[in-house]
Amino acid sequence: MRLSPNLVPMLVVALVVLALYWPIMYLANIPAAQRALDTGAALPCKTAFECATQLRSPVLPSPQQLWNGFANLMFPLNSPNAIPINAAVTALETLVGLLLAALVGFFFAIGMVVSRAFERALLPWIVASQTVPIIAIAPMLVVLLGQYGVQGWLPKAIIAAYIAFFPITIGVAKGLQSPDPLALDLMKTYNANNWQTYLKLRFPASVPYLFTAFKVAMTAALIGAIVAEISTISFYGIGKMLAENSRASDVVAMWVIMLSSAVLGILLVALVNGLERLLTPWRCSSPEVVAVAGQARRAVRREVRL
Amino acid sequence: MNQPYRPAAGYGLGWLLLGLGFGLLLWFIAAWWDTTEPASNAQKLLIGLGFLLVVWGIARVAHQFVNTANPVVGFTPAALTLLAVLVGAEALLRAYQVPPGLVPTPSRVLSTFLEVREVLLRDAYQTVVLEALVGYLIGCSLGLLTALLVSRYVFLERGFLPYAAIFSSVPIVALAPVLVKIIGIDWPSKAVIVAITVFFPMVVNTFRGLTEVNPLSLDLMRSYAASEVQQYRWLRLPNALPFMFNALKLGTTLAMIGAIVGEFFGANGQGLGFRIQIEAGRFGFDVVWSAILVASVIGIAWYGLVAWLERRFTGWHVSYR
Repeated sequence: MRLSPNLVPMLVVALVVLALYWPIMYLANIPAAQRALDTGAALPCKTAFECATQLRSPVLPSPQQLWNGFANLMFPLNSPNAIPINAAVTALETLVGLLLAALVGFFFAIGMVVSRAFERALLPWIVASQTVPIIAIAPMLVVLLGQYGVQGWLPKAIIAAYIAFFPITIGVAKGLQSPDPLALDLMKTYNANNWQTYLKLRFPASVPYLFTAFKVAMTAALIGAIVAEISTISFYGIGKMLAENSRASDVVAMWVIMLSSAVLGILLVALVNGLERLLTPWRCSSPEVVAVAGQARRAVRREVRL
Repeated sequence: MNQPYRPAAGYGLGWLLLGLGFGLLLWFIAAWWDTTEPASNAQKLLIGLGFLLVVWGIARVAHQFVNTANPVVGFTPAALTLLAVLVGAEALLRAYQVPPGLVPTPSRVLSTFLEVREVLLRDAYQTVVLEALVGYLIGCSLGLLTALLVSRYVFLERGFLPYAAIFSSVPIVALAPVLVKIIGIDWPSKAVIVAITVFFPMVVNTFRGLTEVNPLSLDLMRSYAASEVQQYRWLRLPNALPFMFNALKLGTTLAMIGAIVGEFFGANGQGLGFRIQIEAGRFGFDVVWSAILVASVIGIAWYGLVAWLERRFTGWHVSYR
């Protein structure tokens, strides 16, 4: 088992960032601590330097504060105010949203590939739909859906789907158009009808594009779900925790939630990566091959520089 | 697949259907302009029929615009679609007498927009010019610089790029409340959010463009004894331009959304996001839709401007020939 050539540089960068964190944290917090001391607040510390790590709303929280905040928000696991159950709800909304987005995305993509007229009539508005701030539609959509008895996590999933369908549409359309013209000609010489061409050539050819699109769409859907939770009435979810702690000005908790949502995003994209490796093993995107390709590229570059 | 489609009856039938459908819908709207009671089932059916006719008509006439080079003429089917959706929505909302607090009719949104346009334009100045544009410019230039550095030093590429890739799967909105708390509720906090959002796509895309250079061209540069600066100036940067423009186009949308979401966590009483949140809380959805209208028009114009610049500067590229 060979180690990735990226490992050492990545560790070095991580260490440098960590080493810089302390001085930057002090630099950022000391003025705030001084101000707090000047107002004569009852603080358990004497100097601004000591207080910098114990502020109630620090500019940058100290590692100790982050750790405590994390411990507070992680347990008990099933508490409605703890991160695990809220993250699970947000993940569920994201995944359902992605599924809906895939359905809509496939519909639009196939329509655009089959008929140029369909593309001319709708593509500008599909692009435009992405510049519309979804947040604005979220509260309205929730009220509307509530009238028909749809409540809870489903409206959030629909809003997640609204932003996630765009990358899927574009990715699938690209994928369906990606087969080599020669391969299309071959299908024609086999007298394959349209349906067979799609089933045997265009769909398989679009799979790599599909997974790339899914990775982008997953992040988009997560953002949509979080934004929807923030801007509507919700009882569970990362977005609800963010909004609550933002109103309560609990800065450390906000940092902890932010970091957990980052981890959630990374895990969800890793899920798509795992599926990709499982379903398209022939694409040999294994680390070894990528590493070799990278080495070859770097060798060329080094040679050129000499 | 792409053989030109020739309907047996010519395009005349399509236009006829289109005219008939629009006529039906418009007649209903005119008849129901001042009425406050829901329409009868037969009339609702008539609206459905009118909308169907319009869609059918668009499907028939759109084919004649497929192969035109003129972008304005090519836009006709899209414009017809928009018009159909607007007129259809107006007719349906009037037929069912949906309360304007829930979904305002398009005509009501338009009249509200004309009433409050000065407030909205001030909001747009704050959101777009101060927050989105400043953040976008800072984020994109920093992204370009970082990509140049990362492509030059292999150590940075190995140590930094994997993190940039990881960052692309992080929901940036979660950063917004923290940044607003740190920097304050004025516009700079939102500009920082926008800058962070557009930074990572810019780095990753530009880096790909700078490094995915044809090895033969690099060999050629070497045989000309080109210096590193010359290599970047004449080979790597031109090669990266299409990639950069992809990131720039993506960034326009991200910037608008970033600025608007950022205002949700605290604003100084101005801005489109602030306006949308306040008015949605009071069920003033006609103002909300007007704000969405302003944001969309600006977003589309911005995207169009970048796309125009792209055609202007990368017109030599394969995808345009």
